[in-house]
Order: sequence, then structure tokens, then C-alpha cells
Amino acid sequence: MLTTRMWIKIIRTLCAIMLAVPFLTGCWDRLEIEERAVVLGVSIDKVNMETAEKEEDEISHLRGTIPTPEKGMVRVAVQIALPGRIPLGPGESGGGGGGSVGKTVWVIDVVGHSLDDAIMNLQQQVSSKLFFGHLRVIVISEAVARNGLENINDYFRRNSEVRRMAWMMVAKGQARKLMLAAPPLERVPTLYLMSTLDEGIRMGKFPKDYIGIFWSNVSKKGQEGFLPYVEIKKEENVEIKGLAYFVGDQMVGVTKPLEIAGYLGIKGINPAGYRVFVQLSNPEQTIMTTATHRRSKIKVQIKDGIPHFTIDMGIELNVEGKLSDEIQINNPEVLRMIEEKQTEDAVKSYYKLIKDSQEKGSDYFGFGEIVRAKKPHYWNKRIKTAEEWGKMYRNCTFDIKVTLKVRRIGMKGV
Amino acid sequence: METRQITVIQAAAVLVSTIIGVGVLALPLFAVRAADSGGPLVTFMAMLLAFVGLSLVTWLGMRFPNETIIHYSERIIGKWLAWIGSLFIIIFFAVLTSLTAREFGEVVVTSVLKSTPVEVTVIVMLLLAAISTRHGITTFAHIHTFYFPFLLVPALVIAALSLKNAEVINLLPIWGNEPGGMLKGTLTIAALFQGAFVLTAVIPSMKHPGKAMKASFWGMLVAGGLYVIIVAATISVFGSEEIKKLLWPTLELAKATSLPANILERMDAAFLAVWVTAVFTTLFSSYFFTIYSMSHLFRLKEHKLFSYFILPFVFVMAMVPQNIIQMYEIIENVGRIGLIITIAYPGLLLIVSILRKKRGNPVADNKNVDQNH
Repeated sequence: MLTTRMWIKIIRTLCAIMLAVPFLTGCWDRLEIEERAVVLGVSIDKVNMETAEKEEDEISHLRGTIPTPEKGMVRVAVQIALPGRIPLGPGESGGGGGGSVGKTVWVIDVVGHSLDDAIMNLQQQVSSKLFFGHLRVIVISEAVARNGLENINDYFRRNSEVRRMAWMMVAKGQARKLMLAAPPLERVPTLYLMSTLDEGIRMGKFPKDYIGIFWSNVSKKGQEGFLPYVEIKKEENVEIKGLAYFVGDQMVGVTKPLEIAGYLGIKGINPAGYRVFVQLSNPEQTIMTTATHRRSKIKVQIKDGIPHFTIDMGIELNVEGKLSDEIQINNPEVLRMIEEKQTEDAVKSYYKLIKDSQEKGSDYFGFGEIVRAKKPHYWNKRIKTAEEWGKMYRNCTFDIKVTLKVRRIGMKGV
Repeated sequence: METRQITVIQAAAVLVSTIIGVGVLALPLFAVRAADSGGPLVTFMAMLLAFVGLSLVTWLGMRFPNETIIHYSERIIGKWLAWIGSLFIIIFFAVLTSLTAREFGEVVVTSVLKSTPVEVTVIVMLLLAAISTRHGITTFAHIHTFYFPFLLVPALVIAALSLKNAEVINLLPIWGNEPGGMLKGTLTIAALFQGAFVLTAVIPSMKHPGKAMKASFWGMLVAGGLYVIIVAATISVFGSEEIKKLLWPTLELAKATSLPANILERMDAAFLAVWVTAVFTTLFSSYFFTIYSMSHLFRLKEHKLFSYFILPFVFVMAMVPQNIIQMYEIIENVGRIGLIITIAYPGLLLIVSILRKKRGNPVADNKNVDQNH
């Protein structure tokens, strides 16, 4: 009697376990790591319509049924990691010697009517499922950026695998070249691209501008987005050439590399890391200084119905070098001269930077957000929308005060 | 029958883990739609409103410390009227259960298990809740107390870590630029606190029902505080305009947050794991409350027999919304209707009970008294 009862009990539990097993395994979404194509980087270029139409197969739609979009078709190149080829440690064989693109990643390109369409066409050509969870870098050619990023932003926002910490950048010329480049420093090319910018942040050469931050800035009513503007150099290295700034999701202009320092200064972002030439009285008396610390305070007043901003900046400097011995850096007077001269130059360059952005109507500094936050009555009455702010921004006035201090001169006494 | 064993801390834990549930994912979106940068303020007001509702319920519970709302409502407004009221409460909580399960299923199918049918995720979650409800109310309180720290700590950690990318300017002005939808938003968010109504079932089993108000105060403070923190963190990181474009801003926040030194570069997986627990406790509460009230309505000794009985009904209801947008519409509407059931109805009961000078038998404190059925 007792044993039967025990048996019933055992069978009961077994049944329960058996019933639970199919639910717990998660078999529906099983995807072995070697069965997924891990996409590390994506580049997007504009293509010639006629050739592209011919090149595209009838995958997501039949030829002729969908009119080609006004903004033109795109060529999308992806960098797919080859499973097992990416060396994990420095000592591992395989990556050490060659290190060229063909070894660790595979670059394929397709054309499509939109980004999504192109990815669909690509999936038709690649056996394993494309996986965007490790997507680190999205490169967009300048032509595409100037056409507008609506479709591209929409695709990446909607895709749940894409990280908000990925980088999006605008390339001068062809974006695909950046996918093909194989700088010898990093074994995975996209990681090199990424570290160029990540290190840039750490050295004070570039603001934090991950794709998520860019999206937030684009959405804000009182701010426009900006992206790093990069160019590939002859040794397949990458130069940060400036900030590509936007109005809405259309790129409208680009700054010079030194003007990134201006942006960082106005925003007071630390650490500081730009070096500049300061010419004192004649070309021989030229000194190079490096910024070490920035601070900035932006205040807003409404003057005659137009926002007026007062920017109070402070930058600390070190002397880095001089061109000739004509000038002796041995008394405070000289340092004071350097400070004065550089302040003059800096103020001029800040005004110019802001003026350029005003001409384009692109407030990528976020002055509008300050108005929205600090002067809500004014904002609600006069501005309200991003378009209105774009118009108002052109008329805003600025007052820039800069305090520069030279603190150190390095290990040399004079 | 079970003895009175639930302590104040346990009751508060029940409240917190019941309130924190699926709602956290969409919460900042609701708040921002109401009053853009004023989101935290809206959430805070919703918390106050919900606290008013909960204190009405608690007050009632303290007047009738031996009975659940199903029983004392009969004594206050008469058998038939009370029967209708109780029926509404039961139906409402059954609907709430099914919507919670469905919302859970939708999140999972969109962001994690893309090929798993949504029916499977929903039924697994409901089964889990159904199995857990086959115990008494003391076990119910213990389960909640056990999971309580697992909900609170990770959520706070994520909110704290995300502040690395925060900008204070996104939170200004604190009342928002377009505070037109403030009232509607307050109601929508207050609806997320409705699970707290389970307190009506917990009070009759509390060791000291006289301290129920303390439990509801702390429960509301912790849960509401966490909600305000989450909304504030999300808005300060993304800015209100960006949140309007996101379906689940809190999940997006976890995605944008990394552990220091990049141990984990994105926390959404970790966050979802915590969130599953949060959903389970919420689902468990509303499911338990549904069948517990049913058993009281029909004057049954045990609620166990209903635990599988209502499963198919709840499941079918969960499958009613045709798509995710419709589902959120239904959730918002049901939530606002629910406020009548969980705030207005007990308010009415309280007024009538005061007017008619109705009162339950006091409980001899400090002693374990058998529960009165």
C-alpha cells in the first residue's frame, strides 16, 4: 500500500518535470554561436540609381513595384566577424602574423532601397542569421548624411539588439573604405575605429557622442545632433576631421578639427587635450600650449525678446614648446603675455564657431535646451518647437568671456 | 485555519513587490507624455493619489480587522450591492492579471525570445503564478518578502549607474514645458499602483492590524520612491523628447548603462532577469487576490480549487489584444476604470461605514487569534 502510494507520488513528480522541461529549454530561440553572423560594423553609401537597380535582386519586392525613393538607393557594407578567427589574447596564433582584414572579418556589400531593404538583401546572401548585438561602428558617407538619416535612425532604434553605446560617424568620401581598412594596431578593424574615438574621449579630443546620445540630441527641441567626421588616411589610419552637425536628421555642415576644441571648451568638457599655437609678437616668438582643464558656465537672459547668452569659460594651460630661443620663458610677465594673446585668439575662434553654427541654424551646443529649462515661460510663449528654435537661434546674441591661466612649463627652465 | 502571522515589514514588502511590476518599463513614457520634463513630478503626484486610495483601504481594513473587503462590504452596504461591488473587484483583478501576463509576453517576444510564441511565455508565467497560489496567505507574504530585496537593489543600482550619463538640464523645468496632460498622466500612473489593493486581503491575517497604516505608508514610500527615481533617471539620461520615441524607456536605460570598467557593457539582460521576478510577484499578487476573493465571495474554506479553474479564462483574456498598441490602449483604459474600483469604491464604503457607525470586532493584539471566517 505504502509502496503504491510512493510510486504514484514519484510518477506524479516525474510527470510534472516532464511537462516543465519543454518550456524551460528555450529551444525556440536556440542559436548556436557559430550559426550567427556577428556584425561588427556597418557602412552606408549612396549609389548610382541605374547601376544599383540592376544589381539589386528581387528579394523584398519585385522590380518596378516599389518606386525608387527620392533620396536614392544605398550601398550597405557590413563587417562580419569570422567565428574562431578573432584572437582573444596577445599570445594566440593566427592573429599575430597577418592581421589583415581577410583574416578576422569578412566584408560584404549589397545595395537596397533603404537600409532595411539592403540588410534583407544581405541576409539572402549570407547563410547564418545576422546578429547586431555586437555592432560597434556605423559609418555613413557624407552624401547619405546630407540626405538625411531618418530611415537609418529608425532602423537602428527599432532593432532591439543594437546598443546605444555604438558609435555612428560620418565619413568624408566613401564610407565603405572604412570597413575595408585594416590598420595593423588592432586585429579587428572596427575595434580600431571605435578605439580612435574612445581614446579621443579620454585624451580630451572628442566629446562623448555615442549613437544613443546623438539620438537624444536630435530629438531634443532645443538642440541639434552632431557626429564625428572622419577621414581615412593613406596608411589606413583614421583622422577625426571635425564635427558633422545636423539640423533635424540632415547634416548641414562640418567643423575643423581644432574647432572640436572650441566645442569642448564652450561645453566645459574635461579632460582637456588640445594643443594650439600662440604667436606673440613676431612669427619667431611662437609658442605651443596644451589645455589641461576646462570649465564653462552658460547663462541666459532674454533681451528684447531674444535670448542672450553669457558664456564664462576658464581654461588652464601648460606650455609645451617654442619655435626658437628668441623668447625666454623665465618670468611671469611672459606667461601673462601668452595668456593675453591666447585669450584674444580663443575668444575670436569661439565667436566664429558659434557664428558658423548660427548661419546654418544648427544649435548643436544645446543653447536652446538652456532656454527651455531656465526660461520656460519665454519658451512656451515664443518657441515651443524645434523649428522655431532653429529660426530664433540665428538671431541669438552671445557674450564670451575667457580666462586662461598658464600653470606649468614642463621640465625645462627657460 | 491559518493564524495571524504577517508582520508589518512583510505587509510592506507585499505592497512594494506587488506595485513594482511590468509597469516600470513603460512608466517613463507615460510620465513624459503627461508633462515632458515634469515627469518625476507627475509620478510623485500619482504616488500621492495612490497613497490616498491605499489609506482609505487601510482605514477600512483597520475598522474591520477580521474581514476582507468582500465580507465587510456586505455588512456596510447590504448583501446585494456588495455582491456587485465584489464581482467587479474580482473581474478587475482577473483582467489585471491577464494584462500583466500579456504585457510581459510582449516585452519578452520583442526584445529577448523573438521566435518563442507569445502564448508560451504568457502561459508559463500564468502557470507559475497558479502553482504558487495554492498556498495560504502566510506563504504568500513570505514569498513576497523573499523577493523584495531582489527587486529593489538591482533597480536602484541600475538607476544609480545610469546617472553617469545624466544631465540635470533635462529635468528642468520641473513642472514641464507643456503640462497639459498632467491630470490624465497622474491617473494613468496612479493606475500602476493599483496592485496595492491586495492589502485588503492581507490585513485580516496581520499580527497587528492596527499597524496596517504603517505598512501601507512604508510600502507606498518605497515603491513610489523607486518609481520617481526611475523616471527621474530615465529623463535625465535621455531627455523627454527622446523618451517619447521609445516604447520601453526603462529597458533602454538599462541598455545604455554599463557597469564600471565595462564588466557588463549593457545591463538590459541583467535588468530583464530582475524584471521577470518583479512581474512574477505582481502577477502572483493579482492572481492570488482574484481567487482569494472568489473563495470569500462564495464562502468557501479554500481558495486552492480556483487556482487552475480561472487559468483558462485569464489566458484567453490575455490573448484578446490584437497588437501591442491596442494592448497599451486597453491597459491605460482598464487602469483608469480600475481607479474607480480601487479608490472610489472603498472611499464610498468608508463614508457609509462611518455614517452607519459600522465597525468590526476588535482584535486582541499580541495574541494569535484564529482567523474569523
